[in-house]
Amino acid sequence: MSPLRRRVVITGYGMVTPLGRNTQATFQRACQGESGIDYIRSFDTSGLPCRIGGKVDDSWIEINVGKLEKFASRGLKLMMVAAREAVEQSRLDEVPNREEIGVSLGCHGDNPPMEELTFLHRFYDGNGKWDVQGLLREGGYSYLQFFRRKPDVAAAMLSAAFDCRGSNLSIVSACAAGAQAIGEAFHLIREGGAVAMIAGGCEATLDFVGLVGFVLIKALAERYAAPQKASRPFDRRRCGFVLSEGAGALVLEELQHARSRGAPILGEILGYGDSADAYRITDTHPKGEGAILAMKKALDDGSLAPADVDYINAHGTSTLQNDAVETLAIKEVFGQRAKTIPVSSNKSMFGHTIAAAGAIECILTLAGIQRSIILPTINYEFPDPKCDLDYVPNVARHQEHRVALSNSFGFGGQNGCLCLGKFID
Amino acid sequence: MSDKGAGPVRDNPVVITGIGAVTALGHTAAETWNGLLSGKDGVQPIEGFDVLGFGCKVAAQVRGLDPEALGIHTKSARIMDAHSFMLMKCARDAFTKARLGGSSVAEDQIGFFVGMGMVDYKIEDLVPAVVASKGQDGVLDLEAFYFKGYEEIYPLIILLMLNNVSLCQAAIDLKIRGENAVFSPHADSGARAIAESLKTLAEGKAKVVLAGGVSEKISPFGLARAHLEGDLNTGGYDGVAVCRPFGAQRKGTILGEGCGILALELRASADERRVPYTTMITGCGDAFGCEESFSAPTCQAIAQAMRAALESAELSSSDIDVLIAQGDGNRVGDKNEISAIHEIFGNCLDRVLVFSSKGALGHLLAAAPAVDVIMSVSMLTEGVVPTTLHAAPVDESVKFHLVTDGPVRTSPKRLMVNCRSDSGQCASLIVETVR
Repeated sequence: MSPLRRRVVITGYGMVTPLGRNTQATFQRACQGESGIDYIRSFDTSGLPCRIGGKVDDSWIEINVGKLEKFASRGLKLMMVAAREAVEQSRLDEVPNREEIGVSLGCHGDNPPMEELTFLHRFYDGNGKWDVQGLLREGGYSYLQFFRRKPDVAAAMLSAAFDCRGSNLSIVSACAAGAQAIGEAFHLIREGGAVAMIAGGCEATLDFVGLVGFVLIKALAERYAAPQKASRPFDRRRCGFVLSEGAGALVLEELQHARSRGAPILGEILGYGDSADAYRITDTHPKGEGAILAMKKALDDGSLAPADVDYINAHGTSTLQNDAVETLAIKEVFGQRAKTIPVSSNKSMFGHTIAAAGAIECILTLAGIQRSIILPTINYEFPDPKCDLDYVPNVARHQEHRVALSNSFGFGGQNGCLCLGKFID
Repeated sequence: MSDKGAGPVRDNPVVITGIGAVTALGHTAAETWNGLLSGKDGVQPIEGFDVLGFGCKVAAQVRGLDPEALGIHTKSARIMDAHSFMLMKCARDAFTKARLGGSSVAEDQIGFFVGMGMVDYKIEDLVPAVVASKGQDGVLDLEAFYFKGYEEIYPLIILLMLNNVSLCQAAIDLKIRGENAVFSPHADSGARAIAESLKTLAEGKAKVVLAGGVSEKISPFGLARAHLEGDLNTGGYDGVAVCRPFGAQRKGTILGEGCGILALELRASADERRVPYTTMITGCGDAFGCEESFSAPTCQAIAQAMRAALESAELSSSDIDVLIAQGDGNRVGDKNEISAIHEIFGNCLDRVLVFSSKGALGHLLAAAPAVDVIMSVSMLTEGVVPTTLHAAPVDESVKFHLVTDGPVRTSPKRLMVNCRSDSGQCASLIVETVR
C-alpha cells in the first residue's frame, strides 16, 4: 500500500432489519441465533407457494421526516431510520463543509402496489390499448407514485435531510447494490473526491408484486417446517431464499478528518472489488469465476493476501446454486486455508434484503470485529457434501478477528466484495 | 493562456478509443453528428402507442433498431426492451471500434459502467393477471387473482424490472468481466459512469472501460410520469411542442430515446495497443443541491459541479472553448444553469460558445452526457459547433453566445459538458483534444 494513500474509516452506522430497530438490537438477537422470519401478514398471501418473509416492525419506522413526508415511501423511511442512527453516531452534522459530504445508496425504488394494479386494469383492454384519457382524468398515476418508483429518490432525500452537497450516487445492481454503493463511496473518499459519505442501501420489496416476481422465477424457499427454519444457507435441505426488507447506512470518513474532529472510529474499509460473471442472466457462473474475481480484487485493492483474512461474511442466500458456488469460489481463493476460515451467512436469520443486504451485512461484520464475535449461520442441520466449510453452525462464536470479507453477488451476475478491518493505527 | 502541459491528469490521460451512439437521428455516432450538423430534428409524433389523451404527443424516438437486426435471439429479446437493444448496439460499436475483439484485452481487465434510465415494470405484463381474475360482474376477484390469476404474469418479469439486467446482458454478449456498476436514473448517472471509469483506469483496475448511459424507452407510462411531473412541454391544445433550450418561450422538455457508450483507456494503453484516438477526458465534477420544489438543481450546485470539473482538469474557465449545456427547456433548470454559466464564465463570457443537443435529440436522461461527449469528439476534430435547434428567441437574461445561428466554424480545443437531474444532482465533464 502506498504510504500516502488516504485511509477510509467508519465513524457511524445504523440499520433497521426484521431482527431489530437498530444495530444494537439486530446484533444482539443475531448473537442469540434468532430468526426474524415469519408468515407475511401485511397482505394476503393465500395461494402463493411462499408465504413468509422478513418484515420490519411498522412501529420502528414511524418517524417524522418533516417536509419530505410526501415523498416518504416505505423504502425511504427504512433508509431514513438507518441513516439517522449512523449520522447521529458519527456526529456528521458538526462538519462545516457540506460540499465535501456525499451520499451513495443502493436502492431500486418501490414496487407497484396491488391497489394501483387493480385501479389501472380498468383502463386497459388486455390487447395493448390504454385509455390514457380516462386514466389521466381520474388521476391514475400520480406524480408521487412516480417519485416513489425512482431509484434516486432515497439518495436525493438523504442529501436534503442531512445537507450533503457533494457527490450523489444511486446504484441499482440488484443484490450487489448495497455493497457496490459502499465500495464506490470508499473509493471516492480514498481518491479525494469527498471527506465523508453516507453509504448503504434500502429495500422495501416485501409486497405482493415483489413477492410474486421472485415466486415466478422460483427463487424463494417454498418448503419449510416453520418460517424461522426456511432460510438455511449451506444446509443440504436449503431450497431458496426468503425475501426481506430493511436498510443499512454507514458514515465513511477520511481518517485524518475523522481524527481531527474526534469522531468515533468503528472500523476501516481496507479494499473493495467488483466483477461481472458475463455468464447467464439467470444463473451464476458454475465455477464462481465472477465471485472469485471480486474477492481477489478486494484483497488486491487492500494490498492484502488471502492469508490475512480471518472471517468471511458470505452472500449465502440459501439457494442451491449460490451456496455451492460461493463455497467453490472461497476454496479457489483461499486454497487449503479455506476450511479453517469461519464463513457465515446473516441471511439465515433475517433473509435476503436485496439492495440493503450488502450494507446491513457490512455493518454486522464490523460490529462483530469490534466485539470479537462471529455471528452464526442458523438452521444448519444437514451437511451438504458440496458445502464443506466452517459455517459457524447455529451458535455465535467468541473469536478475535481483524480482517473480514463481505460478499454480495447480484442477480444478473454483478458481484461486489468489501474487505473490512479492525482499525489499527 | 497558461501552460496546460503539466500535472498528473495530463501525464497519462484517459483517451477515447471507441464510440457508439444511437439517437433519433441515427443508429451510429456519425449519423447523429451529421444530423445535428444539418439541423435535422429528431422530434416526431410518437409511434408505437396511442397518444390520445397525452398533453405531449411528440418525442425523439429511436426507430428501426430491431433485435433481429442485432442478431439477438427471440428468447433473449423477450426479457429485453428498447433500452437493452440500444445499449447492446452501442456497447458493441464502441467495443469493435476500440479493437477489443479477439481477446486482445483480458476479459477481467475490461470494465463497464452505465447510467440507466428508469427501468419500470411494464404494466402490460402485470395486467393480464388482473384481467384473467375478473369475476362475472367485471370486478376483480381477489381470490381468483391470488390462487390462479398471478400465474398469467410472465415468469421472468423480475428481469424486465431489474435495472441492472441490460448491462449484464451486454457484458455476457461481449464477455466483459471487469469492474462494473449501474447508476440510475437521470443524466448525472451517465456522467457518474464516466467519472467512475476515469478513476478505475487511473487506479489500474482495468485496462479498458466501456462507459456511458442509456435512456428509458418512451412508453405510455413513462410519458404519463414525465407529464404529471410537470417536465414536459405540452405545446397547446394540439400537442405540437418543441424543446427550447434557454429559449424565451421554453415551456418544458421533450423526451428522447438514445444511448451513448465510450471505450476509455489510458493513453499509454492505447499507444501500446495501437488504437487511434483524438480526444481525452480530463476532468469531472459533481454536486448536489435542490430547489425546494424538487424541480431542478440550484444554481449553486450547478456552478459547484462545473468548478469541480475545471479543478480536476487543472483548468480555468477561460480555457474552455465550447460548453455543451444541459439546456433541456425546463423553466427553472435552464434559469439556474444560465446563472451558473454567468458565474463560472464571468470573465470570459464572450469567448465561450454554448450548445445544447436537446432541441434536436430530446432529453436523453442518463444517455445525455455520453452522447454529448461523443458529439464533442466530432466538434473537436471537425472544428464546428452545430445549431441549438429551437432555442431562438433566446431568453433575454442570457449573456453568452448560444449557437442558434450555426453551424459555427471554430477551432475548439477544450469542451465542458453539463448535465443534471431534476432532483438536485448535477455533474460536469471536461473533454479535450489530445496534443
